[in-house]
Amino acid sequence: MNSGQPLKCAVIGCGTIAYEHLPYLSESPLVELVAVCDRSNAAATFVQKRFHAAKAYTDHAAMLADAKPDVVHILTPPHTHVAIARDCLDAGANVICEKPMAGTANETADLLDYAAERDRLLVESRNYLFNDQVIDIRRIIDGGELGEIREIDLILSLDFLGGPFGDLNLAGPGVDLPAGAVHDFLPHLAYLFLVFAGHSGDVDDVQGRLANLSGNSRAGFDHLDALVVAGNVRGRLRITSDVGPDSFRVYARGTDASLESDLFNPFLRIDGPPNIGKRSFIGQIRNGFSLVRAGTRNLRNKVMQHGTYHGMPRMLDAIYRSLATSGEPPFTPAQMIDTARLVDRLVALKIAR
Amino acid sequence: MKVLVTGATGFLGRAVVRALAERGHEVVAMARPAASLPQPVSPNVNYIRGDLRQGGEWCKAVRGVDAVVHAAASTGGGFPDQFAGTVVATENLLNCIDWESLQRFVLISSFSVYDYAGGGRAIDEKHPLEPDPSRRDAYTWTKMLQEDLAASTCAEHGVSFASIRPGAIYGPGKDWDSGAAMKTGKFELVFSPLAKLRLTHVDNCAEAIAAAVEKVGVDGVFNIVDDEVPTHAGYHRACRAAGSDARRALYVPWWFVASMGLGVRLVNRLFFGGKARLPEILDYPRQKARWRPFNYSNAKAKAELGWEPRVRVAEATRLMFGKR
Repeated sequence: MNSGQPLKCAVIGCGTIAYEHLPYLSESPLVELVAVCDRSNAAATFVQKRFHAAKAYTDHAAMLADAKPDVVHILTPPHTHVAIARDCLDAGANVICEKPMAGTANETADLLDYAAERDRLLVESRNYLFNDQVIDIRRIIDGGELGEIREIDLILSLDFLGGPFGDLNLAGPGVDLPAGAVHDFLPHLAYLFLVFAGHSGDVDDVQGRLANLSGNSRAGFDHLDALVVAGNVRGRLRITSDVGPDSFRVYARGTDASLESDLFNPFLRIDGPPNIGKRSFIGQIRNGFSLVRAGTRNLRNKVMQHGTYHGMPRMLDAIYRSLATSGEPPFTPAQMIDTARLVDRLVALKIAR
Repeated sequence: MKVLVTGATGFLGRAVVRALAERGHEVVAMARPAASLPQPVSPNVNYIRGDLRQGGEWCKAVRGVDAVVHAAASTGGGFPDQFAGTVVATENLLNCIDWESLQRFVLISSFSVYDYAGGGRAIDEKHPLEPDPSRRDAYTWTKMLQEDLAASTCAEHGVSFASIRPGAIYGPGKDWDSGAAMKTGKFELVFSPLAKLRLTHVDNCAEAIAAAVEKVGVDGVFNIVDDEVPTHAGYHRACRAAGSDARRALYVPWWFVASMGLGVRLVNRLFFGGKARLPEILDYPRQKARWRPFNYSNAKAKAELGWEPRVRVAEATRLMFGKR
């Protein structure tokens, strides 16, 4: 697919996450935004005008038949992804799907096979991999500064019940997947753990619990606390909605040094040689200055709205470049299946509500 | 008339339900599923449950009404949330209406839709609308989209339409921080003390809306502010005198507020390419909407709807804060 022409792209679902995809799609020279689609005509027509799409639709089948996009972004609620993705692949489109792409690893694998049979690209969004802080952490880990990685802890604290996931005015489940509201965040934790741990394939052991601590009937599950072992790396994956403030802490500990960061309010603290033992005070002073710099940078980021989705346009650009040049996509089907399998193991921890 | 009221358990919605029932109308009051219902004010009021963001049984229950007062809207969250709670919600309501029986649609819009940068210092219904709502806030933007959608759909179906644009609605439980912009230590900063605060008491506003329901065929936009519009300083003094817990005022004149906003805007343009998102007290377009001195007219609502605001500031603040 390297005709030199921009790729014709369409968006299905014009809700919150669409506003993170559409700025790139309306501005990139690699893309021509030919259609947007939403069940709400008001939402579709507003987004069409706002982001200069050629046409707006309320039915995705009609859109696929009429607009014939090369690439479709599926940004609808997660439980609708599989059926819509199959329709898009049947129509000959490549698919970029918001996470979670499917409810289980088997569904993920089936869908990836379905795409491969049709020689189409199917990718699940993993935008955090393109955030500044995650890029920095990967560079530090891959550069060996921490030694061999032994522990990766990912601790997400987010009041997600305050939004639609826990809004008791709305009928039905907040997220119609096996792990409820928590399920929406599991792919982020799973792919970050596997990438930081440098692990591919199944993990060795997962223990812990998935629970509903709030009693919120719409949430399904609102708490995960899991211990994971993958080769020589162990880690803790936790999602909680009842502690503040919102944060997404990353702890990476290696045989030589340790690293701590937060993906919502980024900072980076490294404890390790040569500033250990009697020189540890030097490390503390350096970390202090690093924290001040991070505070200044975070203030600027807040003012400039350089938020937690700032990796999204980079991810989309990488995907579109791979499509335009028929090159390798930024993540492979095997990596997506590994992520989905770890998510399955985490979902299996659920206890009766 | 049989009147559907959406947002019926909100601050304004409750007063509208009461006002309509007192005028002898049969009210279908729509409340969100998780909202607590008030004590029944009249046997003429029947509550139904539903959330306009989603379809459901409510869609059948709203058919066959003679009039609609659409007061439900979203006031919090980011733009997509407010779009869903205000615009998509309105679209869903319009899709459920039985247009054969409907005689009157009254939308509760907002004063926020006006342009506060141009168009002169007197704001009436002919004042220009905000030309670029994206630079203001999600509330203004979604209210403008909502008004367009409701007006055009009613025109399409030939149904009488009125858009009510209330000023700052106040009353028990909502005092607009006694007119203060922010608290600081033992004091409160009262910005633009001599500028008028475009207040309307919730009961006055509800009576205007009830009057608008009955005036089928009297279409268009109606600004609702009370006859007695105090200054920010005057309202702050009245609240303190009535026993509010407002602290002593430090007055910050409009020219100083505006200079601060213009200075920050210059810094934003020079160093941040104009992309910085600022809080209201530092954001010049939003400063103007809230604190720039204007005169407000309610002449059209009084003349065409026959509305007379009854509740005055002194009585209202006494009832709000308890000193009698």
